[in-house]
Amino acid sequence: MRRRCTDAFKRRLFKNNVIVNANSAFIVTVRRQVSTLIMLEYDSSNRPPPVIDELIQLVHYRDLIFLMVENIIKNRYKRSVLGIFWMLLNPLLQTIVLTIAFGAMFKSSLPNYAIYLLCGLLAWNFITQTTQYAMSTMAYGGGLLKRVYIPRATYIVAAVGNGLINFLVSIASLIIIAIFLAHPITLTWLFLPVSILILAIFALGFALLLSTSSVFFTDTVDIYQVLIQAFFFLTPIMYPSSILPIELSRLLAFNPFLILIDIFRIPIYVNQLPSVDLIISSILLALMTLAAGWIMFTKKADQIAYRL
Amino acid sequence: MNDIAIKLENITVRFRIPHEKIPTFQEYAIRWLKRHSVNYSDFNALNNISFSIKKGQTFGIIGSNGAGKSTLLKVISRVIRPTQGRVFLRGRIAPLLELGAGFDYEMTGRENIFLNGAVLGFSRKHIASRIEKIVEFSGIEEFIDAPVRTYSSGMVARLGFAVATDVQPEVLVIDEILSVGDIDFQKKSAERILEYYNNGSTILVVSHNPASIRQLCTHVIWLEHGCIKTMGPVDDIINDYSSPLS
Repeated sequence: MRRRCTDAFKRRLFKNNVIVNANSAFIVTVRRQVSTLIMLEYDSSNRPPPVIDELIQLVHYRDLIFLMVENIIKNRYKRSVLGIFWMLLNPLLQTIVLTIAFGAMFKSSLPNYAIYLLCGLLAWNFITQTTQYAMSTMAYGGGLLKRVYIPRATYIVAAVGNGLINFLVSIASLIIIAIFLAHPITLTWLFLPVSILILAIFALGFALLLSTSSVFFTDTVDIYQVLIQAFFFLTPIMYPSSILPIELSRLLAFNPFLILIDIFRIPIYVNQLPSVDLIISSILLALMTLAAGWIMFTKKADQIAYRL
Repeated sequence: MNDIAIKLENITVRFRIPHEKIPTFQEYAIRWLKRHSVNYSDFNALNNISFSIKKGQTFGIIGSNGAGKSTLLKVISRVIRPTQGRVFLRGRIAPLLELGAGFDYEMTGRENIFLNGAVLGFSRKHIASRIEKIVEFSGIEEFIDAPVRTYSSGMVARLGFAVATDVQPEVLVIDEILSVGDIDFQKKSAERILEYYNNGSTILVVSHNPASIRQLCTHVIWLEHGCIKTMGPVDDIINDYSSPLS
């Protein structure tokens, strides 16, 4: 049976009488042994819980995530002459314009207004741009998830990685302004890696929550855009929290964005370490968001290929 | 059990078709206000499918459009997880249905080999050690550092084929008869598939063409409306399939 079939195979595939070199038995044996060694098994009814399984798969596909981040960045800057300067130019210009507009207003309460503003803007932009990017790559680039198997969270983790690199580069613009305004750069800046890590953990969790929602409700993106606009003005980014009425500022203590922005802004602007309370609450906020996002995403991940 | 390559037990895949618009919060809110429940109907793309394929067998999957062939392949290649039932697969599967999945047309051919390789689950290190062979097989050495958007569709498919089949997979899924690239490349790719077949790869072929199924496969699964209509050795089935009176 097998023999006949092989002949048919040959006839069908080799109309022009190409002679096939049969592999020697030795090579076949070696190959079989190698393939037994790296034998993978997939059993849909016998796998770890999704929360763990997705993590294992992500680790296995880690090179894909690195390549995706690399490619996003290469693509973005390959064709523009100014290249990386765009990344610096954007926050710099934003800061200059807003400083001209509002700087005089907060002259007494916020000396070096440009520094205060830029710290807030960078942290804010990191969170919002990363989450928006993650949502749109899931919605528009997610076609790949329907065609081949890759871990469902790949796109989201890559979006956060990409946002993180933009964030790190744009900190250079902060240094430029600090030097220009003779704002002291002190040892408290060494706390920044911790702040950035907290922000990144939060952004990943938030992006997972939003992306899951956007797969099931396509208007999540629109609703998010409106809410984020409102929160931008409700969060003391462009203004000091001291100008708010007392009742409102008490409410603002619950604004998660303020906690996240403060953990990044205080070491730079005030040149002090954040208070222990602030550190603990921001870490808790970040970890709880990540846990919620991860659990919800992995629980729904199987349905994503159906829904996209 | 040890010689089983693919095993499906009572596989059901159920899609939910909402009868009205795309799901949005807005729709939900309106519905909720109107006290209407959201209207869904279920559609079974696959219905209680069970079969097992031994190592080294060649199976053809036939059936009309919408019979569930693609869904079946997606379940096997774990793109979608079945609503019910169990899929068991031993070894690596190389679906030649999606050649060049994940290609980024702005990047060069070389960069895309890494990207596509990563999509297929290979590490960067592994691809780096194989890249010469992959480029050589694809036969586009000259253009390998040019962006893929400048490639012809044949060249893209050749590159995709070269990456997907670089390492022998335990299971190979082929859509129709491979017609990748020009005559020379078709010969080369057929040679490679035959080599893997002789080395014990299990092969699944999806086709509408009874003649090619008859020549390539030992067994056939005939799907109709998400169910297995018949299944068995190729000679018993293919005549019914091709005869218009069946």
